[in-house]
Amino acid sequence: MTSLHELQTRFMDALLGDSPDRAIPLIASPAPVAAARLEVYRNTVRSNVVDALRSTYPVIWRLVGESYFRRVTGEFGSQYPSRSGDLRHRGDRFPAHLAELHHDDEYRYLGDVARLELLIQDAWLAPEHPPLDLARLAAVAPEAYEDLRFIVHPALRLFESPYPVRRIWESNIDPGAEPEPIDLTAGGDLLAVLPHRLQLRFHGLGRGEWVLLDAMSRGERFAASVDAAAARDAEFDAAAALHRFVALEAIVDFM
Amino acid sequence: MQYGANARSPLPAAAGIGLRARHHLQVLEQSSAAAWFEAHSENYFADGGSQVECLSRIRERYPLSLHGVGLSLGSTDPLNRQHLANLRRVVERFAPALVSEHLSWSSVNGAFANDLLPLPYTEEALRHVSERIAQTQDSLGRQILVENVSSYLEYGCSALREWEFVAGVAAESGCGILLDLNNIYVAAQNHGFSCDDYLRGIPTEAVQEFHLAGHTRIDLAGRSLLIDTHGAPVCDAVWDLYRTATQRFGDVPTLIEWDTDIPELEVLQAEARKADALRAAA
Repeated sequence: MTSLHELQTRFMDALLGDSPDRAIPLIASPAPVAAARLEVYRNTVRSNVVDALRSTYPVIWRLVGESYFRRVTGEFGSQYPSRSGDLRHRGDRFPAHLAELHHDDEYRYLGDVARLELLIQDAWLAPEHPPLDLARLAAVAPEAYEDLRFIVHPALRLFESPYPVRRIWESNIDPGAEPEPIDLTAGGDLLAVLPHRLQLRFHGLGRGEWVLLDAMSRGERFAASVDAAAARDAEFDAAAALHRFVALEAIVDFM
Repeated sequence: MQYGANARSPLPAAAGIGLRARHHLQVLEQSSAAAWFEAHSENYFADGGSQVECLSRIRERYPLSLHGVGLSLGSTDPLNRQHLANLRRVVERFAPALVSEHLSWSSVNGAFANDLLPLPYTEEALRHVSERIAQTQDSLGRQILVENVSSYLEYGCSALREWEFVAGVAAESGCGILLDLNNIYVAAQNHGFSCDDYLRGIPTEAVQEFHLAGHTRIDLAGRSLLIDTHGAPVCDAVWDLYRTATQRFGDVPTLIEWDTDIPELEVLQAEARKADALRAAA
């Protein structure tokens, strides 16, 4: 009699591998019926990968169409088998996979669109945080600012791409709306992504603002963050940027 | 150890609805969206964020059940401690009336099918899965329910009928039973057994929840096979089975479950009203 572990091992090999034959004798049906029934499970496993990735990458689904999406996510599923019962991170490698597939063709922006979609999911899953205590900040002497380390909102995500990915996303996220034509050479994105009161928000950033937030999110001191921003952006205005980030609740604390 | 049944369950007998993310905001806007909700535990494993925030607000206003799909209770791999810790955390956070998982396996040797695969109905599997359910209950400090799954094949080594296996697991582990009536109907049609035999084989005191869902029929190798899609209205035969089940098991909290091609919330609410009307007439 087959032990439970042996049965599960043979069955799983049949589900995930190319040849289901070894599992057919486990099934209480004539071989052709058993093969057909096993195929139902094999199809489910394949479509579960597609469904998991579709929920993370709805805009990619819309852009490439169902047929190609099924093919590319199916290949992805075979190349990177699931190692968890928690599907939240099933598609984490997909943006890199898509970028590699299309690195030198006309669809080379797809990897960046997928990267934005993953980052949006990640932002939705991050904890909430109350806004900055302005009275506490007001009590800090101006000369002490340079040593402060500002803490960014735990759901804040920064995004950079040479393509107009935000417009591509906004134009395709509603499956009922007609997508607008987008000129891929129309300029790239520097974005802060931050869900706010159950609404997703994108904030376009100047280069200096992006560098400032990036430095602060890595725990840099304010003075060093401002220096880094000013070095990349001659127009950078540190006071205005700080005001803006406090108002947007992109900065929520300091120490 | 043994945990008391969720006898004073705060879930009302009126039908609840499976909560899906696309309905979150609508549920929050309505004053009485359902008698209660059931949420997939894994969807709220995150540290926080909008999903968790939405469920917290919904929990403030509605009774809740948490239903897991990823613990792989029947697997011969060690129980996944991280998954269990995440589950414990969501149970502590949302204090649900019921916690349930599936009487199935989905992983072995570290590889996951992310599907609810049937167990062979053997004494070995019965002892194994009962031990794992007991470990899960010890980790959570409370009784869980296990749900019978749909199946499209039977193993040659099975020595027990499915209902004998389900009843045996409940007796051995002390868990409760979540009886999915659609899954019973699908398995009965696919394997040629009687739904009535199944219901008669399940101890009445163990059943604490019903699931109702839809399925589709496909043609496979010249025979029709029912596939549990959870993507269609409850069919007439399953409504009939629901009538029979309510007569045998009494007023058990009932859930309308819809997982694929999820319709508007109103469609689920209409199915819940239908369940309530059937139970009232029974």
